[in-house]
Amino acid sequence: MTSTQPASQTACATAPSVVEVEASCRLPVLFLSFSGVAWLVLGAALALLASVQLYVPTFLEGCPWVTYGRLRPAAINALTYGFALQIAFALALWLIARLGRVPLTNPLGLFMAGKFWNIAVTVGVYGVLAGDASGYDLLEFPLYASLPLFASYACIAAWALVTLHQRTERDMYVSLWFVLAGLLWFPWILSTAQGLLLGWHVPGVVQAVVAGWFGNNLLQIVLTGFAVAVLYYFVPKAVGRPLANPALTQVGFWLLLLVGGWGGLSQLSAVPAWIPAVSGAANVLVIVPVIALLIPLWQTADGSISDAWKASATFRFMAVAAFLLLGVTVRTAIFGGHFTQFTLFAAARTDIIVLGVFGLAALGALHYIVPRLTTGEDNLPSDGLADLSFWAGIFGMLAVGIGFSLAGLGQAKVNADATKDFLVNGVSGIAGALQLVTFGYGALALAALAFLANFALAVRRCCAACCGGAR
Amino acid sequence: MAPQLQLGDLPPAAIPNSAEVYPAVRPGVAAQGAEVYRSLGCNQCHTRQVRQDALLFGARLTETGTNGVNLELPGSGKTNFVNFDLLIALAKVRTDLAIAPIALPSGLAGDTNVAPKFAQFGANLALLKRSDDKSGIARPTTGPSVNELAARRPAEVLAQVGPDAAERAVKLLGDAGAKAELVIYNLGPDMDRGWGARRSVARDFLNDSPVLLGSVRVGPDLASIGTRAPEKFAAPWKFASTNTATELEQHLLVHLYDARLLAKGSTCPSAKYLFDAQKPEVRYAGEPLTLPGKDAPVFPKHNARALVAFLLTQRTDVGLPEAPTPAVAAPAAPAAPTAPAKP
Ligand code: HEC
Repeated sequence: MTSTQPASQTACATAPSVVEVEASCRLPVLFLSFSGVAWLVLGAALALLASVQLYVPTFLEGCPWVTYGRLRPAAINALTYGFALQIAFALALWLIARLGRVPLTNPLGLFMAGKFWNIAVTVGVYGVLAGDASGYDLLEFPLYASLPLFASYACIAAWALVTLHQRTERDMYVSLWFVLAGLLWFPWILSTAQGLLLGWHVPGVVQAVVAGWFGNNLLQIVLTGFAVAVLYYFVPKAVGRPLANPALTQVGFWLLLLVGGWGGLSQLSAVPAWIPAVSGAANVLVIVPVIALLIPLWQTADGSISDAWKASATFRFMAVAAFLLLGVTVRTAIFGGHFTQFTLFAAARTDIIVLGVFGLAALGALHYIVPRLTTGEDNLPSDGLADLSFWAGIFGMLAVGIGFSLAGLGQAKVNADATKDFLVNGVSGIAGALQLVTFGYGALALAALAFLANFALAVRRCCAACCGGAR
Repeated sequence: MAPQLQLGDLPPAAIPNSAEVYPAVRPGVAAQGAEVYRSLGCNQCHTRQVRQDALLFGARLTETGTNGVNLELPGSGKTNFVNFDLLIALAKVRTDLAIAPIALPSGLAGDTNVAPKFAQFGANLALLKRSDDKSGIARPTTGPSVNELAARRPAEVLAQVGPDAAERAVKLLGDAGAKAELVIYNLGPDMDRGWGARRSVARDFLNDSPVLLGSVRVGPDLASIGTRAPEKFAAPWKFASTNTATELEQHLLVHLYDARLLAKGSTCPSAKYLFDAQKPEVRYAGEPLTLPGKDAPVFPKHNARALVAFLLTQRTDVGLPEAPTPAVAAPAAPAAPTAPAKP
């Protein structure tokens, strides 16, 4: 496809059929999806075990491998790298192939790189449980896991970008902006953070600032960005209308890249005062791009929301994810300050973005993608399992979010008032809210299991079809 | 990059009147303890960042000075030294207090030392009255007076005010020949809880790598656990002897072994795996640890001692230019244990 050819001819000559595109996606996308959701099961299970220890301290007592201080970071990193980023790659590949009308470059290589990614995450989680955690939030994996992680990422991203470059549909749809931004942003922040922490050995609290900057960028730009990419693909599709107001979307996109990276440092107190001040301002400002990105979606769907809600499991997930995106942004902007500093309320932002905003959007997308890549039908084999996955996912997310928020508000009151007894009000007093969190993680694991079961049914049906019904 | 530019070259601070700097490089065991702290993820539940809402100042009168005059008759054997200038200065600082009239004993009216000073005092009082009127100050005539304040030493002349007011007070009192010092008030719920004498600042973490600031307070802040008063623990306790350093170390070891032995309802995970139930077969097994309510002692492993040594280095009692500490420690503060008492 040289530029001398007329456009129409180019498209005719080179645009591959949907079947061809999907065939190229099948191996890597299905593999990444399945193992990603399997990590959701495992991560939620680890988080569940950790949360129990917050009110039953004798639970799993006596073994350093499963003490809270190791289980919790193992869970969060398993959810972030094993589940969220891995699914993000699957979705990115699929969106690039579909929207760019191009078969994936090197699907086998992508599959292998995905395999290595999974090995690296396994090693990382193992390392954290073994006591080798680095101690930086969201960067806890020890070096021997984070280097292979980066290497396998480099392969995935390189082939994804080559595919993107070869697309036959030259117009980049909104979703692809976010995919491209995420694919480039992630290696930038990861290499900068690791370089500063491990290479340059920045001293003292600068380390904490760097790690906080990385964590926030990962959540606010990379994962939120992938979630928005998914929303922008599936919401117009589900309501059967083209995207309204693309101009506003563009504003939202650039503003998110501009202000999104500055926030999220509210956990730092022992640093020069301008750092939390800038972060607090950015936390408020980021409302603007988020709203700018949600309004076009709203305008697109307005009027058909209840129909789409009934008709499409995918749309239901999207609607909730969009709602959570608005919710978590406003929550951080309004309550993210001094009062909730150092509480589970603030810490839950990670859970809400990874599992809720991104996680639910991603689960919804997979309910659309997986059947198309396996059975070739529009829906997964079992409607019941799809419903279970949806409701368990929603209630699990709400339980985790509300439970952590209530517990955090209890802690905040203790932090603000020295006459409150620490043990009575700050520890025993929040046990009830934390039980809700445990329940939530359980429900999320159930949601993931229901999806995996549906996935397995689809694969079985697909194999049965291919092999003429023979087992 | 900005944080690095600002903080990259932050030097340790010299501690006045000593050859030491703050923060001191941790002794080897404590540095190993920092690794145990990281490895077990104590930072998942504990911050090491004391917060402070306000830094306020005060002025404290410590000496009345030598330029007072004796208002008792010479030869009476009694003394009643009054520093007239100090009374005026105090009145200027504390416009809410009365200034009680002073009568010159008739026997002193002809004294060439006392009489002129008394006359000057009268003139100054008149001046004070005029400036009071000008600025609309209605000074009470009864109730607590600056005279009472001047008689007390040390006297908190001003408490919890801005730096300008406090400095002016110290200067006025000094000019009156008295001695006064600036008092520092670090305020906030964290200080009220006894979690630290001042806020944590970047300089506290110069020797840490990785820097484990922590982001959630499931348990209390540990930035100054090394100097925490026993009654300020989440589960308060008391020193039984004067050997406070050893007692604090023992207490922390017991806490590590099982926090529930000290605080019912604590969710601090027990680290029993850092202790041997039997006397280990090594030459330097260290002293056994007696547990409250248990007969058999346990033997802390090296990592347990290292972790406690690290905890004992956690302190915010050293004042820094960017975060001063109260010059005079509150009476309740314990004798600060320095380095771990035992290896
Ligand atoms: C699951 C969260 C959790 C983890 C992990 C945790 N702690 Fe705690 N810690 C607590 C709670 C809650 C308290 C308050 C109750 C008490 O005093 O026992 C506490 C109290 C303490 C205290 C007493 C402080 C005071 O002011 O009373 C010390 C010392 C302590 N922890 C040290 C540690 C160390 C060292 C580790 C790492 C091995 C650790 N903690 C890990 C929750 C935790």
